[in-house]
Amino acid sequence: MKICVNTQTPLLKFKTTGPTSAARIEGRDSPLDLHSLREGVDFEFSPGGVTRMVLPLLTHMLDDGKVSDAHWVSLNPGAPANVSLGGITIHHVNLLQDRRIGYGLAKEMIWRAFHGLGRPSDQELLWEDNFVDYTFYNRLSAERIRRLDAREDFDLFYVHDFQQLPVGRMLQTLKPKLLRWHIPFEESMIPSEWTNFLSTYLNSYDAIVVSCRKYLDALKSWGHKGESFYVYPYIDQTPYVNPNQQDLDEVRSRLRLQTSDQVILMVARLDPMKGQDAVIKAAAQVIRDFPDAKLVIVGNGSFSGSKQGLGLSKSAMWLTELRNLVNTLNIENNVLFAGYFPQRLLNAVYSSCDVTVLPSRQEGFGLVVVESWLYKKPTLVSNKAGIAELIDDGKNGILIDPTNPAEMAEKISAVLSDSELARGLGENGYLTSQRCLIEQGLQSEWEIISSLL
Amino acid sequence: MVAFTFPTVPVVVTEAISFVGILLVTWLIAHFVGRFLGKFFKIGPPIIAVHVKRLTLAIIWLMGILLALAQIGLHLEVFLLLIGLAGVMLAIASREVLENVASKYFADFYIPFKMGDSISIRGFSGKVIEINPISTVLITEDENLISIPNSIFLKEVVVNATPKAWKEVAIPILIDNNIPLPDFESDVLRSCHKVKHLLDERFPPILTVKKRDAKTTELTLTLMIKEPETKDAIISDISARVSEIQERLKKNLVDQKVEP
Repeated sequence: MKICVNTQTPLLKFKTTGPTSAARIEGRDSPLDLHSLREGVDFEFSPGGVTRMVLPLLTHMLDDGKVSDAHWVSLNPGAPANVSLGGITIHHVNLLQDRRIGYGLAKEMIWRAFHGLGRPSDQELLWEDNFVDYTFYNRLSAERIRRLDAREDFDLFYVHDFQQLPVGRMLQTLKPKLLRWHIPFEESMIPSEWTNFLSTYLNSYDAIVVSCRKYLDALKSWGHKGESFYVYPYIDQTPYVNPNQQDLDEVRSRLRLQTSDQVILMVARLDPMKGQDAVIKAAAQVIRDFPDAKLVIVGNGSFSGSKQGLGLSKSAMWLTELRNLVNTLNIENNVLFAGYFPQRLLNAVYSSCDVTVLPSRQEGFGLVVVESWLYKKPTLVSNKAGIAELIDDGKNGILIDPTNPAEMAEKISAVLSDSELARGLGENGYLTSQRCLIEQGLQSEWEIISSLL
Repeated sequence: MVAFTFPTVPVVVTEAISFVGILLVTWLIAHFVGRFLGKFFKIGPPIIAVHVKRLTLAIIWLMGILLALAQIGLHLEVFLLLIGLAGVMLAIASREVLENVASKYFADFYIPFKMGDSISIRGFSGKVIEINPISTVLITEDENLISIPNSIFLKEVVVNATPKAWKEVAIPILIDNNIPLPDFESDVLRSCHKVKHLLDERFPPILTVKKRDAKTTELTLTLMIKEPETKDAIISDISARVSEIQERLKKNLVDQKVEP
């Protein structure tokens, strides 16, 4: 089977600054073998779903012989036009700066609506120039895929998320088209004025996959008549190894952690929807009873917030706001903003923490909870996250209301003060994590794909 | 003294020159008429312009070729007679087929239904699932197929029972493949925004690719109007804007080529 995957977020972030990287990357139009570049120096893997989910899915399907040839089209301004990585050929779509801003603002508005973060000018979006730019980007992607299809003759198009929603219709092909919807889908959050726009595009896919049962029920109740499924997001366990002493020391040194410190860990990109403010407020209360408690916030901006990406500045603004909050609460010594951590340091910080928190106001799923479970760590999970439907409250995790920092503080304190509770949550969480591993995901995905072929 | 005489040009050479000359003139006429028609049909559905242009150019070329053939001694009268006879015989043999084909041609523009609509005609009702050059196929609620000759649609009353069918306006567009589709689409959508007050705001304009060949892409621009009486004015206005956009983008392409 020949597959073409389409995502907005690219798998790779290229470092075009610095003399070494610039010489290696700039001016290349021919396919570039990723193995000729150095991770961390010339490029980084993008954090989030594309690296955690889509790449392992393709790699496993190639290894299993289910896929003979994989192509991946994504937005990546300034990156080499084509990159090869094993059996995957990555094609980058370039979007000029003026279009990029409009596209970014339009998709941000859609994203905000689906996350329940206000419905500004619902109807206006569809008639704004920003929406024209959103359509432009999708047409650009669809035309790129169409030209590739003329050459490669794909068997399946696998389109990921709302940013690429119109691509399915624009491809103008009868071949199977599968849409993976990663963000929340709740009927109450969809502006009624968007019904026609959404149904026109959703109906162009042969099947839609959402991240949990709750969203599937909502999709059907909203009126979608086509084939639809839910598959819990999944990760490949392989990179989540026990850290070596050097990495543990490096994390402790970078974060200036003492052995007596109790570490509350939050891993998420810097975004108001992720609820870092709520956990900071909760930490301020926890510190009264646990003066050695340290809140470690790992993560930086998303592709949308980065300069190489869409250049939306929300992550930088949010970080400033969070720092101000920390100063106001006078807990500067107990809150550490760690920024981006590569996999080895991520493993070390998970291994070093005492409890993890996912306080998102809305969350498509929440794979960081699975990461935490792999290290048998107790975790507090927002009741607004998709993964909440896997939580047996008090057994494999603790559900929290992301709008109630006081309650969050009480529950964090309960875990920090009860090592038996913490151990039980971690052990049971580890068992639950098996439902969200690549093997399970691959089987579910393949059943859906097979039904379309 | 030796007298100088011009060499005699053989008749066959002069005939060949005339033959080529007439074909060249025909090409020039076809070129200029094509351009004139392109501008003349700026307002109105672009697909009509394409068909009128094709027919006119075919006639010009037929006349040119016949005249050229006459120059090399072939009898024009015999060819004309043969073509005429063939045409009459074809017309007689396929009178009903032609009637249906012609009806389909007009139905494309003047019959108010499209694929997917629920219609009634001569006591038959169903959803339109196929419109071919000869007939229109309906599927009934009992999943029976009904084939209705296209000519009937020009003679009978058709009821389109699709809810709010009047709201939908589909404007066919044909563009050269060298015009970048994403840019064209953006400009078309922006131009539709100019008449937003006349459109149903729940349905943003949408451009759909219908067919592509090596040189052209057939598109449909779908709009939902607020008031039925504005339909013709909107089609005319948007069609004119679409033609302007095409011309501008074509000119941009030429300018880009000229730039060093």
